[in-house]
Amino acid sequence: MAAAMSKSDALVLDPARSIGRRPVRRPMPKLWLLVLPASLFFLIFFILPVASLLGMSFNKTIPGVLGFSSALTLDNYVRIFTRSLYFDAIFRSVGIGVLVSLVCLLLGYPLAYVIARTKVPARVTVLTILVLSSMQLDMVIRLYGLMVLLGDNGLINQMLLASGLVSAPLHLMYNTFGVVVGLVQVTLPFMIMSLIGVIRQIPPSFEEAARSLGASRAAAFRHVALPLSMPGILSGSLLVFAMSISSYVVPALMGGWKVLVLPIHVYQQIAEAGRWQFGAAIAAVLFLTSLLAVIVYDRAAAYIAGGRS
Amino acid sequence: MTDRKDRMPFVANRRQILKASAGLGLAATGVSLFNINHAFSKDVSYDGQPFDAGGATITIAEWGGFWQETMRKHLLDKFEKDFNCKVQYDSSFPWFPKFVASGPKNPPYAVTNWNLPEMFKTAKAGDYFMPQDELIANVPNAKGLWPFAKQNSIGLTWAFSRYCYVYRTDTGLQPPASFQDFWDKRYAGKRGTYVTTNTLQMVFFLTACGAYGKDFYDYDAGYDAMKKAMPMKVSDFTGNMQALVERGEVEIAVQNDGEVYLQKTKGIPVDVYLWDNPRPALTQTKTVSRYLDPVQKKLALALVDRTMDPAFQTAVGEVFFYRPTARDAKLPKGLIDQGVKNDADALKDLWIPDWNRYLEDEDDIVETVNGIFAS
Amino acid sequence: MRDSNDAIAWPFYVGSALALIVLVVPVLIVILTGLNAGDYMTFPPQGLSLRWIKSFLTSPTFVPAYLFSFGLAAATMAIATVIGTMAAIWIQRRGGRLAKILRGLFILPLVLPGVVIGLALYVFLISTGLPLARTFYGLLVGHVIVTTPLVIATVTAALVDFDRSLEDAARSLGATAWQAFFRITLPLISGGIGAGALFAFIVSFGQFEVSLFLSTPDLQPLPIAIYTSLRYRFEPTAAAAGIFAIALVVTSTVISARLVNFRRLFGGR
Repeated sequence: MAAAMSKSDALVLDPARSIGRRPVRRPMPKLWLLVLPASLFFLIFFILPVASLLGMSFNKTIPGVLGFSSALTLDNYVRIFTRSLYFDAIFRSVGIGVLVSLVCLLLGYPLAYVIARTKVPARVTVLTILVLSSMQLDMVIRLYGLMVLLGDNGLINQMLLASGLVSAPLHLMYNTFGVVVGLVQVTLPFMIMSLIGVIRQIPPSFEEAARSLGASRAAAFRHVALPLSMPGILSGSLLVFAMSISSYVVPALMGGWKVLVLPIHVYQQIAEAGRWQFGAAIAAVLFLTSLLAVIVYDRAAAYIAGGRS
Repeated sequence: MTDRKDRMPFVANRRQILKASAGLGLAATGVSLFNINHAFSKDVSYDGQPFDAGGATITIAEWGGFWQETMRKHLLDKFEKDFNCKVQYDSSFPWFPKFVASGPKNPPYAVTNWNLPEMFKTAKAGDYFMPQDELIANVPNAKGLWPFAKQNSIGLTWAFSRYCYVYRTDTGLQPPASFQDFWDKRYAGKRGTYVTTNTLQMVFFLTACGAYGKDFYDYDAGYDAMKKAMPMKVSDFTGNMQALVERGEVEIAVQNDGEVYLQKTKGIPVDVYLWDNPRPALTQTKTVSRYLDPVQKKLALALVDRTMDPAFQTAVGEVFFYRPTARDAKLPKGLIDQGVKNDADALKDLWIPDWNRYLEDEDDIVETVNGIFAS
Repeated sequence: MRDSNDAIAWPFYVGSALALIVLVVPVLIVILTGLNAGDYMTFPPQGLSLRWIKSFLTSPTFVPAYLFSFGLAAATMAIATVIGTMAAIWIQRRGGRLAKILRGLFILPLVLPGVVIGLALYVFLISTGLPLARTFYGLLVGHVIVTTPLVIATVTAALVDFDRSLEDAARSLGATAWQAFFRITLPLISGGIGAGALFAFIVSFGQFEVSLFLSTPDLQPLPIAIYTSLRYRFEPTAAAAGIFAIALVVTSTVISARLVNFRRLFGGR
């Protein structure tokens, strides 16, 4: 048996030998065993805990009390949708998520393209290290690094003031701009990683062919590479969007509490005010917002796939 | 108020859930979390003498990083040796949700070090702490404390510093001369404070209520004052505010004075302005959880007793420029140079807000001030 | 071999440079801050020295936290890679509605705030009495939950590109389905699995939000130790700790680049 198997390695390289035999594509026996560990793990340690937390959102809010009671109410949701502090946060979160996805796409695509098309392995490794190393920068320390750069007395403002371009320092952090910069920093590597794989699967010969038929470089890119990158663009954007609207630490540190997004309210209500039920309701709204984004993504992906075939 | 016990099925139903999970074989790992015998935990007393705890472990909650290293060095390492025990140190703030998640009968920590609002909040949520008179009766060193140490009705305060403004001295601006100077136009756009749920901001807010309104709980006056102080840099914690002041992003901010004196010794051009009416204090207070097994409870009392020891408070004061609550503790030279004294006069007018009253309204205050900061 | 036609157009280089600036400049600032000779965090540094590096290496807080995070990330990587790869293969093979639903389910941890997942898990472990609360294993469970989606996504991407006819060939020669899978498929998607594993390691090592409530007394992961430390004092030691964290990523990336060619790692041809 072992001998037969080692032989099959060589056969792979010679597909001609399998011609004439009808491939038998029977399902692998007991295939479901593969998904069992992950499913059980998620059921016990993710679905059950999160469901019991979100379930509490239908109970009356009593500070410092934790648990599910059968007296249900929608009070917490009414509160979210009738107070602008919380209601506006939904749109602020979504807006920031969309903006960060767009910026990451614009910044990430060129770098992903260069990494995907670079032929020298050492260069690919160096670029990859540069992308990945920023993922390991602790958020609180990153805050310090960005303060040096973006603060009122930071390097950028010093340069702008010295050059006379501005007369007063620009506020580049402790506001929405700062949050977007922080989130782009954190999520950009994920966008780049999602794009590299997809771009690499587009044979360069496709673009060369388009150009040999007289298309300009830009046109070749727009009509060949870009459409073929769509799956990566969509999945990368979804990933970045999800990470952005669920981030607590970046808006907390970079927003200077001027950018109140949903996760900040969740944290304040639960961890600091002990209002578990209300915090759970905000978390549920955040969760549904993300789900909506996933559905939109799914539709877009299906539409693009349909358009191509 | 609703009966809290009825509303805590997570806690009340634990045994049923345990049975269910035991059925699943999940609890069969040989570790039991529920071997606590509450029946006799009330009868524990402590007389100040070291004893052999037989290698028992107690878990405490206190601040992390350099603070933790200092506590290890001046208190915990020796404590572990003297009492033959192990101290587990948890520094991942906040503590309040962890208490609530576990319930009073299964406290996450034996001894907890707090700022007052979070402590009051936890006490309000359930029967979590040993009553203060029982605590004092079993902490022999409590006899040597100033009355201020007990002025919180729940735990024992072992260190404090005064709330103040920190301001840059290199700006050429006139230093602040009153609490209200914070609002002066010379500091426009250069003011700093903290997020609504930070104790420093709570005290600053209540003091502003008092300065601009009819009393410390005149919230409308406080909201108005917060609006007028905008734009402010709002920080999450003191470490971040230090960096903002050190970098000159903020020229005046709320701070505790010990921290500023420390910054001064590092050569940072800053100084302290203390306001006198009222004189709020940032406190470090320790509580002992009510329901613990007897050995744990005795160890907890012993640890609090050691914290009230003048020698320990003197040593920590040297490091953090905090002031002691023990009569016989010595102030560090850095504080004496600033004119600080450890006598009855220095402590008699210290102000602690009515936190229970604040917490009743916290919900509205947090929402409103959040809205002001975000505008 | 290839003519200049194949060169990458200049706008891509400009965009790449911009992206690299955004990513790398804060890293450089932190590195320089960690090498600062001054008494507190200043930039530009007041001269260079190794004093904060030494302070990190002798720190009773940061070094154990660093090692703890390393162990945690390694364990997380091992579990997430195995269960994530298995699930990805099932999703790919099974297809259909059920696979789609489960794929959506496995992505969910990415769309909820880490603090909510950590808190929910903490309350769950405490209230059910599972002996995992406030232990290494509780923390490990939380990390596996948030890293497995990344492994599933990466491996699924690698499988999309995989040519099933190779496996069919092996099976037509008498190999069982499982044999064909282990001998043919697994080696071919090893690049994708490697990328997923690297992702899981890095994300676990840098994880803050999920760890916040799950972290254990005494031993904390590095990001939590840095956070709880910086809350009270901004010290260059933390920046030095950052240097070592970055060094770890560089090392692990170089090692994986040696083990699997990066061009293959991204599913290239």
